[in-house]
Amino acid sequence: MSQTINMNINGQQIGPVEVSDHTMMIEFLHEKLNLTGTKFGCGAGVCHACVVLVDNEDGTTSVERSCISGAGYFDGKKVRTVEGHAKTNEQGEVSELSPVQQAFLEHYSFQCGWCTSGFVNTATALVEKLAKNPINKDQVEKTVEDALQDNICRCTGYVKYYQAVKELILKTPGLTV
Amino acid sequence: MKNIKTLFVWLAFLLLAAQFSQAQTASQEQIEKGKYLAVAGDCIACHTAPEGMPFAGGLPMHTPFGVLYSTNITPDKNTGIGKYSYELFRQTMHEGKGSAGHLYPAMPYTSYTLLTEEDTQALYAYFMSLPAVMQVNRDNEIAFPFNLRFGLGFWKALFAEDTSFEKDPDKSVNWNRGNYLVNALGHCGECHTPRNFTMELDLTRPMQGNVIAGFEASDITPGRLIAQGWTKPELASLFKNGYSDKGTVFGEMSMVVYHSLSRLNESDMNAVTSYLLDSDKPVEAKPIIARTPDKKAAGHNTYVNMCSGCHGLEGQGKPKIAPAMQSNATINRPSLYNSVAVLLRGIPSQKYNATTAFYAMDSFEELSNQEMADLINYMRKAWTDESPNVTADQVSRIRDELEGDGLIGVGSGHAEF
Repeated sequence: MSQTINMNINGQQIGPVEVSDHTMMIEFLHEKLNLTGTKFGCGAGVCHACVVLVDNEDGTTSVERSCISGAGYFDGKKVRTVEGHAKTNEQGEVSELSPVQQAFLEHYSFQCGWCTSGFVNTATALVEKLAKNPINKDQVEKTVEDALQDNICRCTGYVKYYQAVKELILKTPGLTV
Repeated sequence: MKNIKTLFVWLAFLLLAAQFSQAQTASQEQIEKGKYLAVAGDCIACHTAPEGMPFAGGLPMHTPFGVLYSTNITPDKNTGIGKYSYELFRQTMHEGKGSAGHLYPAMPYTSYTLLTEEDTQALYAYFMSLPAVMQVNRDNEIAFPFNLRFGLGFWKALFAEDTSFEKDPDKSVNWNRGNYLVNALGHCGECHTPRNFTMELDLTRPMQGNVIAGFEASDITPGRLIAQGWTKPELASLFKNGYSDKGTVFGEMSMVVYHSLSRLNESDMNAVTSYLLDSDKPVEAKPIIARTPDKKAAGHNTYVNMCSGCHGLEGQGKPKIAPAMQSNATINRPSLYNSVAVLLRGIPSQKYNATTAFYAMDSFEELSNQEMADLINYMRKAWTDESPNVTADQVSRIRDELEGDGLIGVGSGHAEF
């Protein structure tokens, strides 16, 4: 059996396209759309390397694990992957990284990079949420820890990821009060 | 003459010393026995607060009448049971009357009353041998009039009896031991037997299942367990490890497995499973129910999109990650409650032993009542003996109940920004 699905990925309308029952979202991104920035980690929904963002109609953003969710789950939804954050020029080349991506580079947050797309997505969702609902400066550390706690990294031990996000939140006007 | 006197004194001393050391060893044995019995009775689960000192009490227990806090049962003279004589300890265990007066039946004295005298003594010896922890008991938050302990006296006069355990002469020693472990020490019925409106255990329906704290303590009558295909080794696997071919334990039961059942010795485990299945002989295994799911059914796409990533397209599960849905005892039962409760509440990740942990299950509260009914019917039809007759109304009632208790989504690992 199969399903016919449509979705919006990084602002681009995809579909209608037929996917078979056993097609998980990550496979759909890799094999059908050539979006290979999303990484397959544990395959069991634990490491969060594979997370993508779903922009809900009520204005919230969900972090969804693409390795354990069928492509059909995203039917009709607005999805963002790691490829969707940076600005690109007319030739389609990256002209400017997103603030989160830039912060991770500046802090040497990652080594092997396998978990990075997941961290970029989760941190982006957090920063966007704070732009709508700023927090006190003394809550930043705990907020960052709570938001990123599901993302697993096996190289740098989290410190540089957390520092990068914390610093970005503190220096960006409007995220804290 | 003087020498003979000295000799007598020495002899008397040696005799006394011998007697004294004999008493010591007997009591050491008794303490060890009491320690094992306390495990089988799962005392620690209630009498220890999260991250608290063992047996020092303080665990909140939410009841329809308010919050009760378990008490300090270490032998501290002022805050624990250090001043309890054996008589008072016995009275507490068997009659529910301690130094503070009548106990709320959260303390399962209606089960412990079946304990033998010998075992009660061993438990007393063990608790008195524990390191004393000074921790003052928290006051219960119970509303009037239930806060008046003398009222419990009436309740007890009506519903609690000091009875003793009677062996069934027609059954084997093994079965009788299982009966004692399940009904006296294990106090399984305190959750698994339904209660009537006075909170009394409804002994006309023993072990037939009961909703408690948002999950259903399963129907564990022999008939139901055998209908679900449980065998002794499978039950033992569930009790030893927390997981089996019929699914995993979750909710409060995972603590029972961790603190108590997994630590039973082999002969007691055999006794418990023999009693639960009401058979000293091995029980015949049933084949796992693995029909090909109906791909045109309403629940198919929901299952494929939201469940199959972990539980498998054929409901086969992923070893040590997510349990199989095929013959899963949570779905393969007439009661719908836990199927819905698990979908709405999710299950936190559960670590069963050093090498085995099952992953967290999200809450899927975003599914509508109809979608959930369709999904459960889809799974029932493919992987159970139950008929796929679940309706959205039934799901809705359970959802309302859980929502009222603030339990939806609590166990989830789902992130939203």
